[in-house]
Amino acid sequence: MSVLSNTTALLGKELRTEFRSRELLTTTVVFILIVMVLFSFTFDPTVGESRRFGPGLLWLAFLFASSLMLQPCFLRELNNDTLSALRLSVSDPFAIFLAKLAANTLFLLLTELLLLPIFAILYNIPVLAVFGQLVLVFFLGSLGVATAGTALSAISAQARMRELMLPLLLLPLLTPVLVASTEVTAGLLDRQPFVQWKGVGFLAVFDVVFLTALWIFGEYLLEE
Amino acid sequence: MKNLDSVFAAYLIGWGIFFVYYLTVARRSTALRNEIERLKNSLNRSK
Amino acid sequence: MWSRLIGGSAVLALVGGAAYASFYVAPEERTMGLVQRIFYLHAACGLTMFTAFFICFCSNIAYVFWRSAKSDALAVSAAEVGLVFSTVNLVTGPIWAHPAWGIWWTWDARLTSAFVLWLLYIAYLLLRTLIEEPERRALLSALFGIFAFLDVPLVYGSIRWWRTQHPQPVLMGGPGSGLEPTMLKIFFFSIFAMHALMVLLLIDRYGLEKMRGEAEIVRRELEAA
Repeated sequence: MSVLSNTTALLGKELRTEFRSRELLTTTVVFILIVMVLFSFTFDPTVGESRRFGPGLLWLAFLFASSLMLQPCFLRELNNDTLSALRLSVSDPFAIFLAKLAANTLFLLLTELLLLPIFAILYNIPVLAVFGQLVLVFFLGSLGVATAGTALSAISAQARMRELMLPLLLLPLLTPVLVASTEVTAGLLDRQPFVQWKGVGFLAVFDVVFLTALWIFGEYLLEE
Repeated sequence: MKNLDSVFAAYLIGWGIFFVYYLTVARRSTALRNEIERLKNSLNRSK
Repeated sequence: MWSRLIGGSAVLALVGGAAYASFYVAPEERTMGLVQRIFYLHAACGLTMFTAFFICFCSNIAYVFWRSAKSDALAVSAAEVGLVFSTVNLVTGPIWAHPAWGIWWTWDARLTSAFVLWLLYIAYLLLRTLIEEPERRALLSALFGIFAFLDVPLVYGSIRWWRTQHPQPVLMGGPGSGLEPTMLKIFFFSIFAMHALMVLLLIDRYGLEKMRGEAEIVRRELEAA
């Protein structure tokens, strides 16, 4: 399947580019850290309150960070004029999107997992017991964020005021991800942890809907 | 009938919004129509 | 010219008739009293808003696949008109809620989704102002419009599911729940009247957009001459 091989090749390029400098990952991690600290000033961070507000604040931080982290996704290609070269190198433009959204999902997941222990320590919430389930909800949520974000990044990169435009377009669109992810995470971080399978299913549906939309309309996003 | 003012307010503001929008569209339309006239005249003069 | 006058008067009559019916024909609601009558305007606007946004969605798809300027003109007109109805919906809601239940706003599924929808289409219109090239603007905004509309049921579903987890004051049943037959008839009449108003505003706004295209063509001819 040439789409798969194209995607893997492009994904390798995306990962190599990022891991060479690691600038995107470092800045995103630091940003989320700053937000976490700021959040501690907005409510009384006792264990009980942290359990109530923690999940929502965590996902809010992830969403804000992603709306910044996804900026360079297509901006880099436009600025360096590499978009036409990319388009010529693949048979199906969906491969470009697949590679970028896989890379973005990975980067998001990495930053989230890096910050999870710090979050657990700062807010005194035990996460070890539900670590596997947390990875699942982080993955599904990040996939949704990356899918919508990659598509919208292609749009905002071609508009003026793009730094402000991407969050403006992305954040209302990601409301369902915020709601569902927060709910599932809250259930996992509860005193008696449980898995909200309905929320997990909902995130999966979101991911499928936007992946399909990207598959159908992706090529038009990259039109000259 | 203490709630009468609420009902009036709702309907007044609601219709007000529609009316204001209708007026702005009408105003822009007239301005654009005049602009097209002006442009067409310049075009005919330059021909 | 005459068709516009007749059309406009017809719409005015319909809207006025709906308002009259809401006030004088509809029976008084038992618990909320007079203030409940705002419902006829508020809910009718809400439904009309959806129709307008659906028209925008269809025009967006039409533009992506067939690239006609008419689809783009219809899309932006439908989005703007939908936004107007959405604004009226969001404004009349609190005016009804405060005397009826003592609170201006509640984050229930319907209101919150309506607010998010409003934000999405504001973003749509903003995006359009930030792209200069007409064809690029039409294509990119159409694609965003498609994503935004696909998101709408997801937004509503997620908030509805989430909100039912945590007990909320049950504020209003669905528009059809327990509505007395006269009320139902007036409600449908209001919906019809609002849709007529939507069509009128759409036609005007679409005309404006077509004129913009025309002005652009003449301007280009002038520059070439």
